[in-house]
Amino acid sequence: MQRLIAALTTAVCLSAAPLMAQEPGRIAVQTDTLANGLTVILAPDHSAQVVAVDVWYNVGSRNEVRGRTGFAHLFEHMMFQGSAHVKKAEHFQLVQRAGGAMNGSTTEDRTNYFEVLPSNRLNLGLWLEADRMRSLAVNDSNFHNQREAVKEERRLRVDNQPYTRVLFEDAYGIYDSTSCFPYAHSVIGSMDDLNAAETNDVKEFHDLYYAPNNATLTIVGDFDPAQAKQLVQQYFANIPRSPEPPAVQCTPRFNTGPMRRTATDAKATLPAAFHVFRVPAYESPDYPALQLLSTILGQGESSRLNVRLARDAKAAVATQVLLNPFGPRRGPGLMYVFAIANQGVPIDSVDGLLSAEIARVGSEGVTDAELTKAKNQLRASTINQRQQSLSRAEALQRANMFLGDANAVNTDLDRYMKVTTADVKRVAGMYLRPDNSLILIVTPEAKP
Amino acid sequence: MNRIPAFLLSLLAVASIAAPASSAAQGFPPTPPPPGPIQPAKFPPYQEATLPNGMRLVLVASHEHPVVSVSLSLPAGSKYEPAGKEGLATMTAALLTKGAGNRSAEDFARTIEGVGGQINAAAGSDFITVFADVLAPDAPLAFDMLADAVVRPTFPDKEVELQRTQQLSALQLQLSQPAALASRFFEQGLYGTGAYGRFSTPASVRSITRQDLVAFQKARFRPGGALLVIAGDITMDRARSLATKSFAGWSGARPAAQTFPAPPARNHTEILLVHRPGSVQSNIVAGNTTFLPTDPRWYPAVVANQVLGGGADARLFLILREQKSWTYGAYSDLDRPQGIGYFQASTEVRTPVTDSALAEMLHQLRRIRSEAVPDSELAAAKNSLVGQFPLTIETANQVAGAVSNALLLGLPRDYLTMYRTRLAGVTAQQLRNAASFVVRPDSMLIVVVGDGSKIYDGLAKIAPVRIIDVEGKPLTPDDLVAKGSTLSIDAAALTARTDSFTIMVQGQAFGYQTGVLSKTADGYQYEQHTEIGPMLQQKSTVTFTEAPALQHIAASGTLQGQQLSVDITVTGGHAKGTASVPGPQGPHSVETDTDVPPGTMNDDVLRAIIPALPWSAGAKWSFPSLDESKGTVQQLTISVDTTESVTLPDGAVNAYRASVTGGEQPITLWVSVAAPHELLKVTIAGAPITFVRAKK
Repeated sequence: MQRLIAALTTAVCLSAAPLMAQEPGRIAVQTDTLANGLTVILAPDHSAQVVAVDVWYNVGSRNEVRGRTGFAHLFEHMMFQGSAHVKKAEHFQLVQRAGGAMNGSTTEDRTNYFEVLPSNRLNLGLWLEADRMRSLAVNDSNFHNQREAVKEERRLRVDNQPYTRVLFEDAYGIYDSTSCFPYAHSVIGSMDDLNAAETNDVKEFHDLYYAPNNATLTIVGDFDPAQAKQLVQQYFANIPRSPEPPAVQCTPRFNTGPMRRTATDAKATLPAAFHVFRVPAYESPDYPALQLLSTILGQGESSRLNVRLARDAKAAVATQVLLNPFGPRRGPGLMYVFAIANQGVPIDSVDGLLSAEIARVGSEGVTDAELTKAKNQLRASTINQRQQSLSRAEALQRANMFLGDANAVNTDLDRYMKVTTADVKRVAGMYLRPDNSLILIVTPEAKP
Repeated sequence: MNRIPAFLLSLLAVASIAAPASSAAQGFPPTPPPPGPIQPAKFPPYQEATLPNGMRLVLVASHEHPVVSVSLSLPAGSKYEPAGKEGLATMTAALLTKGAGNRSAEDFARTIEGVGGQINAAAGSDFITVFADVLAPDAPLAFDMLADAVVRPTFPDKEVELQRTQQLSALQLQLSQPAALASRFFEQGLYGTGAYGRFSTPASVRSITRQDLVAFQKARFRPGGALLVIAGDITMDRARSLATKSFAGWSGARPAAQTFPAPPARNHTEILLVHRPGSVQSNIVAGNTTFLPTDPRWYPAVVANQVLGGGADARLFLILREQKSWTYGAYSDLDRPQGIGYFQASTEVRTPVTDSALAEMLHQLRRIRSEAVPDSELAAAKNSLVGQFPLTIETANQVAGAVSNALLLGLPRDYLTMYRTRLAGVTAQQLRNAASFVVRPDSMLIVVVGDGSKIYDGLAKIAPVRIIDVEGKPLTPDDLVAKGSTLSIDAAALTARTDSFTIMVQGQAFGYQTGVLSKTADGYQYEQHTEIGPMLQQKSTVTFTEAPALQHIAASGTLQGQQLSVDITVTGGHAKGTASVPGPQGPHSVETDTDVPPGTMNDDVLRAIIPALPWSAGAKWSFPSLDESKGTVQQLTISVDTTESVTLPDGAVNAYRASVTGGEQPITLWVSVAAPHELLKVTIAGAPITFVRAKK
């Protein structure tokens, strides 16, 4: 949230420039599957002497069951605690001594682990990933230690920041968790559930989800595909397959009626209004128009909400629109449209202005210039991200998981460039409507 | 949702490419596999051209991605600033994109963001660099905007003043931070009046006029001395034609070369102790000057630095942090400007271990000269450095930056392509030879910023110590003993009164503060009530004698939902009590139990006695002040800097502007020149909060 506010206050005005027919370069993709089920995506590219090893496990908070929320993320921490041939803290040291970088992250749909290395150390990245896929070191001591680290992370990133609890927890209330638990709870999880987690749960989790048949390994950058295949075979081929993990069943539901809630936030100093809308999965044909709509409405200083609510009416200190802040989903998603009230402005009046702008975009649509600017920004950021091997690897993984084909990385942008002003108006009218929303009014904690 | 499993099935059907049967049979190696051979860096060969106006153009063409990155460097770094105008280069750079050609600051931002690009400028000690990143079809726009910024900046008065305010506030904050103070005194001490010993001061930033900016830009920005580096998806013909068109009409030969005084010679190690009373930590920076950037000892020196303090895997970190737990981090570094560079080792340690940590640091510096680095340590350091390099030149603008830097430093043409090979070839003997020149623990400058009264004796056993205060004024060891107050007040001016302030946050009224002064049996009481929206509610009462000296502080309230409270009594030269201080992890308790010098006050007492101080232009007073959030006494100084008009809601008033320094955050006060001297306005460095006297 701190970054969010910083981004809001430093964003600059944008104006539309003519649309140029420039596209990102094609990524040549090879896809293999090992006998044990490991999917391997190779994209050699010798523009820099860097190679990225990026493993996605098909597990995220959507796989968590009631009473075990936060577990996918807690488990991600365990993956850095050592494995059969790697001592605690050695993973980091080996990568650092090779001059590389590494990390991992957890979202609703997936957990990723990556190394970015000089190209002559591809073997190190593959060896480290294979060792922890095969044999995680789990014991009471490192488990309890990491559980505390995750609790601390929760305190720092959620409990101690203004508005974050609303963004990352309360907003999930828009989905009925009794009918669809997978996408209806937060990634970070509840303190109670984290406290209840035990060492044995970690072992079961590894056995269930951390198997080659539930993972996709992507190698991107400066490498020889034949040599890479040989290393993959040598390191990964004899990791045993596990039974297929249980499928996630969750049916998105839209337009179930308006909801309005109020919450107090001890860390907030100003009241705020959050309008949360149900949106469809990434693969939906409506998603590109929703993405561009979120840019037009609430990204940057010249965005509609900022001009109307902050600059003209001086009713808000900050406005923003976020579409699935953790990344794409295969299930139902969230769009947040929000405004933080200016000092002395009643929250009802800010909320009223916000509702009016949301309704206006549904009834009047957007201009050609607004849409062009949003497309320009999206295209430039897509192309810029293609310059780094890790972001190429992530783009391939996203295409593979959310569009069902790694090759879709080369055509995904077309979906966005084809969007018309009529499409934007249609999705605004269809999804950004009161009966498809949860309105959360946040007030700073009352004075004692 | 339903498409995915179906697709996964189809994936399984794809025939996997069979690997050689031998590979799986080799099995999983039990130890990390060794690195493959290092290939020579595949740096795109760069092409060079000189435009008719004398501008040098370098192209690193790379057509992998449709992006273009353009950077223009000019010999206009801080070393060229006229004396007394320090800060001019930084201010010039910041203003280049805040109005140029026909574009206002807003137009500049809107235009570049509209195509998803960016343009920025920054000043270093040698150069100002302006850089732009765009998609390839927008290259003409990038050249146009870059040319506008460099050739036709307009320096609008409004933007100049905005920039000045930002620079002053950044500087004020910097001067209150011990790490920044340590580097500043270290570089000043190392270079004296030379190229890299220059730093801006509030006075120099205030003295910069629009005329100075225009003149500096005119004198230093000439095609003759400029280097334009273009990287990405563009041909030489197009780059040359865009540059020729955008920079048409710009002319001028390279500015005349300037010579700078050589760094002062040092034949023994000296400690410069920057006395910062009340500091709970000491910041140590120890080092010496090295050589010109083209010196061949650079490679072994880089490896020596990596072994010694290059990261979390190096000696200083492993010993000072992991083994001794004296610090959160300890590092070393090599600075490589256009002129003579420097080596430095630095750390920040708890006050009581200052001398032990410095002694250990010096021991490690001696060891790298006297003992051969073991093979395994040498290999680890070289592998890390060699491995990192490709990761730093992955994108077009990273490549442009690396090429530009190498050319500006005058490095040989094969510098980037051979960099890894040369590092990999460094031997233990070369490392030791280089270290014996680059690391000179017996002729170093060591700057320590900390509480001199607690660390002087220990430091004096290590090397001769020279003491200064945070403003650079020489002190003697006697000065380290906490001083009493040099304040005197006119008791007749301390009559019962009520003060009332509006609290402004970024120009908006967010809260208020009231203060009521009344007489007590043996002195005075000042009761304050502060409210900043829902964020802070606080009530505080201080009592103090006519000396003036603090007797008692009591405060209670809430800050962002956390309780805060203070209850401290001063009797017989001793302060005792507790404070509950809000923090990011919730409130924590701070005990005060310390001797205090005569005349110790605090912030609240200062507020109360303002009308009774003998205000005059140039006046300066110093007094000990109790900081209840730390339980320590700091020596604060009030200096009346100037007289100026200050605008209040009910009109302009002629005021003394005074700064209060020596505390965590420097404070600026404005007090009416006319008696009774009323406090009119208060600003706090680094905080967006201003107190303004309420309308009467």
